[in-house]
Amino acid sequence: MIDLNQRPEEKKNFFNRIVLIYIFFGFLFSLFLYRTFTLQISSYTDYELASTENKTREMLIQPRRGIIYDRNGEIIVNNVPSYNLITKPSQIDDIESYIEEIKVFIDISDDDFLYAKENHARLAKLNRELILKKNLTLEEIARFDVRRHKFPNTYIDERYSRFTIYPELFSHAVGYVGNLNDDGLEQILSEQNLKPRETIFAYSNGYIRGMTGLENIYDKTLRGTYGKKVYEVDASGKLLNEIEIIPSVNGKDLYTSLDIGSQKVAFDQLNNRRGAVVAVEIDTGAIVTYVSSPSFPLNRIANGMSSNDFDKLLNDNNKPFFDRAGQGRYSPASTIKPAIGLFGIENEIIDWNFTINDPGFFILPEDDRVYRGWKKGGHGEINLEEAIIESSNTFFFSLAYESEIEQLIEHLSYFGFGRNVCLDCFLPDKGLLPDPEWKMNTLNFGWFKGDTVNLGVGQGYLSATPLQLAYYSAFLAKKGELNRFSFVQQDKGAPIDTFVSNNIDNDDWKKIHQSMIGVIDNPKGTAGRLRDLKDFTVAAKSGTVELVSTETKEDYKIIRETEVKRDHAIIIAFAPMPNPKYAVSVIIENGESGGSVAGPVAIEVLNNLLKKE
Amino acid sequence: MIKAFNILKKKIYFDQYLFISITILSIMGLLFLYSASQENIETIIKQSFFVIFGLILMFFLSQFDPDFYKNNASIFFLISIFLILITLLFGKEVNGAKRWLDLGIFTLQSSEIVKIALPVFLAAYLYNKALPISLLHTFISLVTIFIIVNLVRIQPDLGTSLVVLLAGLYILFLAGLSWKFIGISFSIFILSLPFIWNNFLEPFQRQRVLTLLDPNADPYGSGWNITQSKIAIGSGGIKGKGYGEGTQAHLDFLPETETDFIFSVVAEEFGFIGVCFLLATFLFIMFRCLYLALNARDRFCRLTIGGLSLLFISTVFINLAMVAGIIPVVGMPLPFISKGGSSLLSFYIAFGIIISMATHKKLMQK
Repeated sequence: MIDLNQRPEEKKNFFNRIVLIYIFFGFLFSLFLYRTFTLQISSYTDYELASTENKTREMLIQPRRGIIYDRNGEIIVNNVPSYNLITKPSQIDDIESYIEEIKVFIDISDDDFLYAKENHARLAKLNRELILKKNLTLEEIARFDVRRHKFPNTYIDERYSRFTIYPELFSHAVGYVGNLNDDGLEQILSEQNLKPRETIFAYSNGYIRGMTGLENIYDKTLRGTYGKKVYEVDASGKLLNEIEIIPSVNGKDLYTSLDIGSQKVAFDQLNNRRGAVVAVEIDTGAIVTYVSSPSFPLNRIANGMSSNDFDKLLNDNNKPFFDRAGQGRYSPASTIKPAIGLFGIENEIIDWNFTINDPGFFILPEDDRVYRGWKKGGHGEINLEEAIIESSNTFFFSLAYESEIEQLIEHLSYFGFGRNVCLDCFLPDKGLLPDPEWKMNTLNFGWFKGDTVNLGVGQGYLSATPLQLAYYSAFLAKKGELNRFSFVQQDKGAPIDTFVSNNIDNDDWKKIHQSMIGVIDNPKGTAGRLRDLKDFTVAAKSGTVELVSTETKEDYKIIRETEVKRDHAIIIAFAPMPNPKYAVSVIIENGESGGSVAGPVAIEVLNNLLKKE
Repeated sequence: MIKAFNILKKKIYFDQYLFISITILSIMGLLFLYSASQENIETIIKQSFFVIFGLILMFFLSQFDPDFYKNNASIFFLISIFLILITLLFGKEVNGAKRWLDLGIFTLQSSEIVKIALPVFLAAYLYNKALPISLLHTFISLVTIFIIVNLVRIQPDLGTSLVVLLAGLYILFLAGLSWKFIGISFSIFILSLPFIWNNFLEPFQRQRVLTLLDPNADPYGSGWNITQSKIAIGSGGIKGKGYGEGTQAHLDFLPETETDFIFSVVAEEFGFIGVCFLLATFLFIMFRCLYLALNARDRFCRLTIGGLSLLFISTVFINLAMVAGIIPVVGMPLPFISKGGSSLLSFYIAFGIIISMATHKKLMQK
């Protein structure tokens, strides 16, 4: 029992202890206030952002992709609506019986049915739409329309997909679109300064990007800019209302220099043979025809085809996906001869009056190796013009023999060999302009004089793409001055490549042209068969690319039993002379004769292009 | 008029400071709750009923002389234990917890009653014990506390059992528990912490502690509540988003907005200014109680005022510290603000008793 004299002590004791606890709580509440201060004032922006991100969901609005036109304003690739049957799953309790009711008049595949069943609950919770069927036919749309009142929670909405009415004509030139993956989308959005947030990806699908060809090169222009819709959501992710819309900006249409007419002619002329045609407008360097054959169905690649069909295309021996025009490497063969002739003039090795006696072969003095021409017995006494017309190998073997390889290579690179000649081609190949260094590095052999001799007739290691050959053709036509190739009118003007020369004048160019006209018009010309086909005066040079070296015609007969060992047919041409407008190159794999197999294709394309002028 | 008021004041027992501040707090509570409950009128009507009834009850309880509480402390205590026991036997089970007795018009959370009865009982038991409190009395007090705490804990109601424990210990400490005893037992407690961690805490309780240490380890799972609460508080900024404009609260990101996490709603909608105002009101009540305790007429009154006011302060702090992520998540309402009849009434009762203790003077002093 507490006694009286302890009372003051007790009171003091109580006072001390309660004050102690209060001090303790004072400390705790200060801590709390400091904590709140930190959250609400120091870190306010972080939490403000977190709160905003919590309550908003962003969805992208895809811009309409630009239309691709040909040079006459005709549509090559367009966007076509595809009509989809869509429901609001949040309004439907039993999706299975609901679909059963729809199935009565619209066929819904098992896959679509399964998809709907599996995703119904999730999409309902998020208040999102559920696609029951894509690509409705007009009949299906009509059948749904008359029953629309019975299905207030289902509707038909259009989505766009890429479509061309020329399914195989522009497959390599224009290229195809494919699905844009998350990384690609993220990159696009950051370029646009739209902050990519996780939620955007969760809600996004079906965005496309250009995978190949012009669709790829001009993807940014065609694509436009993405917009977005910002929704307020609750904690469960349910969309409540729209807070903000940043509209999308549609992609710019692309006006190309491609010409549907000549493209069609080239495609039909190739007739599914392995080969390529490239034609350009000489004054501008604008590519008007760009065909690689065989082709593939563009619409189906862009909008989905069965993996079975796709594999079939992929494993086709003719390699339809391979862009022969821009990526196929072929020896220029005899088409190189005008350039070699010009090299002789430029370096004063020969002049137009210089002649040699062509016995039908050339013997390399160093090792007595024999280099044969195509004509047994040779062409006799011939000059440069005749050597081009008749395609004398011996003339150019001996001319090349007199050449310095470094100078020759520099000369050839002016004509587009070994470099990229196009501003907006998709993955263009540079071909191969071999030099001693290259040979040492890759083949571990020194450069032989024989290699230079082979170069003189466009055989050996030298290779070029049909695109480069077309450039070469146009460069000859334009007399050593040419715009870099392009599919589209360049804003700043295309860079111009100019042949720098001391000894070649207009007269020399004219003589080269004259020689090339002779290839067709001269009775001795190698492409004489084209004389009756052409509507204009055409300058050309044909070539036959030997894949297997043979000594005699008998040997070749054995070789040609195997189709893929037959010679490639090749030709370059430009017309109308004397003021050429278009230049063309044609290659037909294993076509054997440049003049009579590749030649007609080139002539038909030129005829078509010139007829319109 | 003034004369009449003075006469009235002599007849009735009334502390205008506490009464006004508690009334203000209650009204603020109703306003906050209206927003926190998504403008649910029914909730507000029900809560208003408790507030009005509680204020009347508080006034009524403060009219009794402290001796009434002192003499009947054992009876009240036994009744409250009885309520706990029948809750354990016949209580309404919600989410696996048996905390509520269905009394028809409202469900009583019996632990809220024992939370008041225990400190009053201990004060009545210890008020005449010599200083320092002997080992025997300490032991008896501790056993009593231990039994009650565990009765509440097995409901299970960790939050309230913690408060009950604190309330008991406050009385024991204020009554003059020897420092030697405190020192020894505190050392033992610290040393046995790993043992308690492994044997007395449920896995989910351990998880809560771990979550506190690193809420970002699992922001959508166990860390969700505290993460969202911090976002709500932080995004309130200085001035808040405005009344009824809290997106965290209204778009269901915040859990338990009407009860444990109502402070987050206040912080989100009224910002740092609102937080300071609310805190100031609580602190005013706290210091008023200190003043009253120091001027109480006898040791029993001192102990009771001290114990009950510290009970109140502890509840406030635990709730605030929890929602701000300073301590682990324990179920704890914010006094006078959170929804919930029993908890609300218990604090009106506590302050009724406090006012009684503070306003009744000894006859000889008058």
